[in-house]
Amino acid sequence: MKIIKLDNKTIPLAVEALKKGGLVIYPTETVYGIGADATNPDAIKKLTKYKNRPFGKPYSVAVTTQEMAEKYASLNNTAKKLYQKYLPGPLTVISTGKHILAKGVEAEDGKLGIRIPDYKLVTDIVTLFGKPITATSANASYKKRPYKIGDILENISDKQKKLIDIIIDIGELPKNEPSTVVDTTLDDFVTLRQGDIKFKDKNEVTSRSEENTQNVAKELWQKYESHKGTRAVIFALQGKMGAGKTIFTKGLAKAMGIEELVTSPTFAIENEYQSDKEKLFHFDAWRLNKSDEMKALGFEDLIKNKSVISIEWAERVADIIREFDDEAIIIWVKINYGKEENERLISWGNI
Amino acid sequence: MKILAIDTSCDETAAAVTEKLSVLSNIIWSQASLHSKFGGVMPSLAQRMHEERIDWVIEKALKTAFPQHTIYDILSTKIDAIAVTIGPGLAIALGVGIDRAKKLALEYKKPLIPVNHIEAHLLSPLVRPNNLQFPAFGLVVSGGNTMFVLINKIGDYKILAQTHDDALGEALDKAARLLGFGYPGASVLEKTARSGNPDVYKLPIPLINDKVRDRFSYSGLKTAFVRLVDSLKNIDKTQTANLAISFQNSAFSHIIRVLDYQIENLLKNEKLKIDNFLLGGGVANNLNLRKRLKDLCKKHNLTLHVPYSKKITGDNAAMIGVCAFLRINGKRQVLNEFMDYSKIDRNANLKLA
Repeated sequence: MKIIKLDNKTIPLAVEALKKGGLVIYPTETVYGIGADATNPDAIKKLTKYKNRPFGKPYSVAVTTQEMAEKYASLNNTAKKLYQKYLPGPLTVISTGKHILAKGVEAEDGKLGIRIPDYKLVTDIVTLFGKPITATSANASYKKRPYKIGDILENISDKQKKLIDIIIDIGELPKNEPSTVVDTTLDDFVTLRQGDIKFKDKNEVTSRSEENTQNVAKELWQKYESHKGTRAVIFALQGKMGAGKTIFTKGLAKAMGIEELVTSPTFAIENEYQSDKEKLFHFDAWRLNKSDEMKALGFEDLIKNKSVISIEWAERVADIIREFDDEAIIIWVKINYGKEENERLISWGNI
Repeated sequence: MKILAIDTSCDETAAAVTEKLSVLSNIIWSQASLHSKFGGVMPSLAQRMHEERIDWVIEKALKTAFPQHTIYDILSTKIDAIAVTIGPGLAIALGVGIDRAKKLALEYKKPLIPVNHIEAHLLSPLVRPNNLQFPAFGLVVSGGNTMFVLINKIGDYKILAQTHDDALGEALDKAARLLGFGYPGASVLEKTARSGNPDVYKLPIPLINDKVRDRFSYSGLKTAFVRLVDSLKNIDKTQTANLAISFQNSAFSHIIRVLDYQIENLLKNEKLKIDNFLLGGGVANNLNLRKRLKDLCKKHNLTLHVPYSKKITGDNAAMIGVCAFLRINGKRQVLNEFMDYSKIDRNANLKLA
């Protein structure tokens, strides 16, 4: 492991390491990332070992231009529009891959996340290297977001440290959110991770009854259902007392085919419901005093097991939920009182 | 038959020794004040506190029951069985009691009887010798449960109505927090309500349009309460008391309406012969609710039975011991069936029936 500062040798050194199948930690406009040659299977294996993540979780890659991206993935019109409007920038666009890259980079279903960093150092490295490099965050799985090298090194073992070849240390980065991740392979594109780029899709509806609210839950479930089993899916519910958070969860359970009676988990803090096929974990943070209590309740294991989770009073534990925005699809749902007695304004996604 | 009972389902570390229906000791170490200081519970802290206190609480329960004997003697020669709550409750808290109970059962080769916490609340008025006859009605009202049950006999229950969202105690706690009483605030709400005028604010009675009244719900009442509180400015003491009593009244009227319907239906339409009504759970301490239930029972010629002490309404282990005794019908020979501990595990979402 070699820590280097920024000078005229940085880029050649990094490229040399990448060519040898090495791992390079580099700064970006979001967090520190870790790069490996995305076409080299051994380099990807090494990266997976370093990240300590379960096999089958894909890596997004960094390229320099839309043309370069099109070598490795088929971009549909939605994707092309996003490239033109937002890239380079903190946005990862998921498209259907062309299966050229090393095994493990694309998802099992062949989807590939691509990003063009708005950071000259990275684009210079990729340009000189001539091939895409991985653009995953440099922390090991389930560890702190890396804004400085210390964040990384303090949270990994010596074994993991030995796997790193070069670290480009430019000090502490501004605390920007990780990139927004959108999946463009479906009819209507879905935000999988919310970063600084926010899309104003039509995501507010007025509910006029409990049944309405349950139907909104059903629609949201249908929208995100296809991701079940690939990542944890979290419905983070916010709203005042009596707004309809439990009602929403009832609708969600119904949509999942669960027939058990869904009640407020305030007292037990966590309820579990299941049908033959599905399982829903229903949390309530109202009684929780500190957000990290979620961890004492085994929240991390639920994420690792790719569970479907609904959390009432999610704002009370928002910091813990956000820690998992890499491993889980988090749908923030806000339910506000409307003007009329039974009216609720339900918004979701980019809150 | 003497039973050592253990309950760590939520904020209380509890152990008791019971003999048949009698209580020889009933030790409760409450964490409530600790958690209320933080304005909420902390499950990891609850678990740690249970772990720190459990041995002391068990020893104290044993020593109080048999002051002249050593712990070893009591467990070897006096205690016939161990009973432990396996759910429902806070998963990581339940685990502490179960682990300890298993350890003791193994060490002293005692039968280990798993107990359902709601069933124990339901039967808690039976703690202390009595000749109560079944079938009977049973109502459990606590922070975690609100359930009206037909008890055909011990172990044979039919749920007549249960909550579809909040438990009654939970709804009261939430209303209390909205009025600035902190957590848990249901008992402060009750005290404040006593000086309130119920006619100033009108709140809806939940599910007033249900023709078949077979469920409880507090979501609509909470909604109306939030809207009402939001519409007022600079709420003073008098207003607070008026708000408290209005919320409590609507919440209780709802319970009474559902109960009235169900009792009427079973007594008149199904012609069941029922004389007794059992009330259990922490909210059973609310005097206003008790009075209303007493009136309801009078109307239907039922006798209302409540736990004989406050120490039996809230979470406690004496009710666990008595419940275990009732479940095995007091039969010693049945105890042999409880020597396999491997299947005993926590079930945070355990159901009554």
